[in-house]
Amino acid sequence: MKIAKDRVRFNVGGRIFETTSTTLANAGRNSFFGAFFDDNWALKQPINDLNPNSEFYIDRNPDCFGILLDLLRTGDLHIPPHVPERLLHREASFYGLLDHVRSAKWGPFDANRLRYSRSVTGRAPGDGTAIRAGPDGGCCVAHGSMVRVYDWMMEEHPPINLDYQRVNDIAWVDSENVILSACERLGRGDGGMGLFSKSTGELRYKFQVCHENRVKSYTAGALSTSSDYRIFSSCKGRSNEYGIGVWDQITGKQIDFFYESPGWSLGDADKLQWLNGRNCLLVATLFPRKDNCYISLVDFREKRMVFWSDIGASMTVDEKRVRDAIAMEDCNAICVVNEYEELGFMDLRMSGGSVRWSSRSRLMKGKMPDEPCYPKLALHEGQLFSSMDDSISVFCGPDWVLTSRLRQSYGGSICDFSIGGDRLFALHSEENVFDIWETPPPPIL
Amino acid sequence: MSNQKKRNFQIEAFKHRVVVDPKYADKTWKILEHAIHEIYNHNASGLSFEELYRNAYNMVLHKFGEKLYSGLVSTMTSHLKEISKSIEAAQGDSFLEELNRKWNDHNKALQMIRDILMYMDRTYIPSTHKTPVHELGLNLWRDNIIHSSKIQTRLLNTLLELVHRERTGEVIDRGLMRNIIKMLMDLGSLVYQEDFEKPFLEVSAEFYKVESQEFIECCDCGEYLKKAEKRLNEEIERVTHYLDAKSEVKITNVVEKEMIANHMLSLVHMENSGLVNMLLDDKYEDLGRMYNLFRRVPNGLLTIREVMTSHLRETGKQLVTDPERLKDPVEFVQRLLDEKDKYDSIISLAFSNDKTFQNALNSSFEYFINLNARSPEFISLFVDDKLRKGLKGVSEEDVEVILDKVMMLFRYLQEKDVFEKYYKQHLAKRLLSGKTVSDDAERSLIVKLKTECGYQFTSKLEGMFTDMKTSQDTMQGFYASHPELGDGPTLVVQVLTTGSWPTQPNVTCNLPAEMSALCEKFRSYYLGTHTGRRLSWQTNMGTADVKATFGKGQKHELNVSTFQMCVLMLFNNADRLSYKEIEQATEIPASDLKRCLQSMACVKGKNVLRKEPMSKDIGEEDAFFVNDKFTSKFYKVKIGTVVAQKESEPEKQETRQREEDRKPQIEAAIVRIMKSRRVLDHNNIIAEVTKQLQSRFLANPRRLRNVLSLLLNEISWRGIPLTENCTVILLEGIA
Repeated sequence: MKIAKDRVRFNVGGRIFETTSTTLANAGRNSFFGAFFDDNWALKQPINDLNPNSEFYIDRNPDCFGILLDLLRTGDLHIPPHVPERLLHREASFYGLLDHVRSAKWGPFDANRLRYSRSVTGRAPGDGTAIRAGPDGGCCVAHGSMVRVYDWMMEEHPPINLDYQRVNDIAWVDSENVILSACERLGRGDGGMGLFSKSTGELRYKFQVCHENRVKSYTAGALSTSSDYRIFSSCKGRSNEYGIGVWDQITGKQIDFFYESPGWSLGDADKLQWLNGRNCLLVATLFPRKDNCYISLVDFREKRMVFWSDIGASMTVDEKRVRDAIAMEDCNAICVVNEYEELGFMDLRMSGGSVRWSSRSRLMKGKMPDEPCYPKLALHEGQLFSSMDDSISVFCGPDWVLTSRLRQSYGGSICDFSIGGDRLFALHSEENVFDIWETPPPPIL
Repeated sequence: MSNQKKRNFQIEAFKHRVVVDPKYADKTWKILEHAIHEIYNHNASGLSFEELYRNAYNMVLHKFGEKLYSGLVSTMTSHLKEISKSIEAAQGDSFLEELNRKWNDHNKALQMIRDILMYMDRTYIPSTHKTPVHELGLNLWRDNIIHSSKIQTRLLNTLLELVHRERTGEVIDRGLMRNIIKMLMDLGSLVYQEDFEKPFLEVSAEFYKVESQEFIECCDCGEYLKKAEKRLNEEIERVTHYLDAKSEVKITNVVEKEMIANHMLSLVHMENSGLVNMLLDDKYEDLGRMYNLFRRVPNGLLTIREVMTSHLRETGKQLVTDPERLKDPVEFVQRLLDEKDKYDSIISLAFSNDKTFQNALNSSFEYFINLNARSPEFISLFVDDKLRKGLKGVSEEDVEVILDKVMMLFRYLQEKDVFEKYYKQHLAKRLLSGKTVSDDAERSLIVKLKTECGYQFTSKLEGMFTDMKTSQDTMQGFYASHPELGDGPTLVVQVLTTGSWPTQPNVTCNLPAEMSALCEKFRSYYLGTHTGRRLSWQTNMGTADVKATFGKGQKHELNVSTFQMCVLMLFNNADRLSYKEIEQATEIPASDLKRCLQSMACVKGKNVLRKEPMSKDIGEEDAFFVNDKFTSKFYKVKIGTVVAQKESEPEKQETRQREEDRKPQIEAAIVRIMKSRRVLDHNNIIAEVTKQLQSRFLANPRRLRNVLSLLLNEISWRGIPLTENCTVILLEGIA
């Protein structure tokens, strides 16, 4: 009988495993096995053919090795109940297979196949400010003056804060760095905006606002980043620094400042969104910060607003008060939502146009929960998400039909949610719990 | 007991903290350090990867990452210092080889070290923002080898020396060169730029500065360009062989600057071989090379274009103002066409059909063609010549080619209406004398003029063709209705519509009786078939074929003008006639009569009349006889009319006449524009009018203003002066 030439025999922590070098090649060059079988090293190992009983000893946990070996064989991850996840992650990290574990755990994001994965309980009860999904499947949760950071394994990293000032918004710059915007403390130069390392929690850079060549302290509000490495933030200073600040992500220097025109409350904005195709920034200031809802598109090249709409002057009386807004560039529209989760649409190409409310009638009217949370909107790969009460609705274009609803009863209303790293995170307001929704790996056949 | 009770309880700190054996880290590091030594000494076969990997992992796990990292830095540094020494010790040519060998060794070792330290690379380094192992290895190599004082300059000089040797024709080891340059690039683009590229460019600039100076002193322009092109290609080839692709632009810039840009003017103006000589001798290859090289440098093509333009204008100006040339209009135009052909082929063959050169050519032609006020006339004469005889036996396509070329010249003319005037005259002559060789060619040209200048321009020309056709039909009708006219003289009448044809002074004469009778018959026939028309006879434009028998019975058919026919007919009834008698009988105006007689009595070979006294000019007292001794080889003899003396009216008068002719057109243009625009300021209206009239002639702005102000007085327009130079003109209700 002929023995396969690439057969390999391992003794892992006392248990014998037989596999092939081809299977192990699935680990990639940048892994323990990749280096192990590289020409530089492989020649120095005993050769199987000559001595079929020779084995390579690895001083590691055999259970986990078995799981990881199956992962390399099938691409599927199956963790038996008696193996703690953390142990498996530890072992995967040794072999350089963490990325494999990560991509085997959940599949590419599909809003209509999402499954509830788990909930993570926070430390302090109530009133989380914001949750933001990181690019690698981790997330961070802003809570009072603290931001708690989790990686994709839901391991908690040291929390971050900016002089313990109240946090207004957070944004991921890349999988390693987070920006945090906070209120200023008068006279102390505290607050503003800082860049933090995800893994160590250390403050790596503090962004400054200069007005007439003098550094000013300021309150940073909503944040947004663009693909050409710019950071935008709504800013409020004590003298004239009301408006939108722009910084370069690489140098950290302030490169622009859009001073607000009277009555537009740009410095108070609740939401900033960079529009790549139009090369401008959506700025939305909403109720209850203002009585009216101001939505504008700011073009920094020409230093002007290329679109504006002030909804509500005539609508404050009726119940259609805009609570969140999001631009959908592909459809040339801005979607807005009111407190009854009714969606409205505006034409992005026409300034001052009116909102076309969708006729979808909801049973929600008049049935407000005790502690209401205002609806939030998100857009991901052409699908529109809207949170209301304790559930999140998924709508698909072009007619924005409701296709899925995500609901997990524990924790009260959803006060914020975020999509990223192929996961959806929903933060509840009452119990300070957040849920993770994932797309299961594709079926076997 | 009480003692016992008094005993204080002390809470002690937890003493049993888990402490890793302090020697553990040192021991583990020793193993790894040893392994690194073995790897550098090509002695790694005894090492176990699993053990080393596990040890490195454990060090990081137990928070000895810092120790591991700094140990790596110092171990690698000390190895590199040794390597540096062995490279320094290499003699002569083996220096680069040694460097290359060590570089390969280092890369391999680095890869293995990275394999061992993979866990540190993956976890410890990103979280502490340190340099990853691979990059660290390159940085250490850069600092300890490439930037070591004994290697840095030696390396640079060796590389530059090799390039220099290759430039002077030696063969070098390009593979080795490529490896070394690749190493510099691997160490970062900054290293490549600072340690090689910058000095390389400086040395190259110096090299080409000296070389170009040598070349310019001993080569002619064509040769120089060949050498420059060769050098340029060599440098581009060098880049593809062993330099960074990004260097191509930089090194070609250096060559371009030193070899071309710095010598551009001396090349173009080089005596006996510069651009002008190339143009004169049609050296397409050299011109093409110059174009391609000069295109690479700022203002290069501009320089060529300017020299070409000024040369072209100069030669063109000489051509059109040379009094010798003015004697032969056909040759004059042919010369222009030849010149155009010459430059067209230069631009297409050497200048890759560059639009800017075509524009320069066009503007030059436009410039010098209009230097000669007679150009329109000459072009028309050229066409006349071609359509009279030149096109015989030429294929249809060739006719088109010639006509297209003429149209091209026509396009250059500013005074297109002058051309039209002459063209009309010449066409009229061709049609009336039946001299045109090809109706198709005539019509084709008219179609071309029509597309160029519009319907208006050619409507009268087309009218002339219609008249010719109708006349033929009329004559057929006339003879059909008068069958009795079979014998006796034959009359051919061409009825010309007034206005379509060039106006001629209507000179009448007394026709011989039999002719005038015939004319009367035609008149009554014509007016009988057409109502409301008026006929007047243009006897000065007619011709006649007269049969004559001379003294010794020699018979000839004489082709003469109508005037000449009238005179000759008188001799049917008389042998001798004095000038006065002839004048009385025919009533031909004196100047025409004199020319008519002169052509029959004084031209050798055509002298059907004899004159007393014999002299060149016709006097009022002269007497005329039939020349019985007239002989000719041919049966048919064409007797021309002596061309009138140089038109006595001065040129100026013609100009004034022309300006008068143009006035209605200017007025029409102004009214047209104002009807559509209503309000326009003064300067804009002048500009618009000039633009509209461009297809016919170049309007003189002063003249335009003149016509405009006259119009303002005549019609109900209002001029509102805004400023001194600006008037807004309002058109108020004009039908």
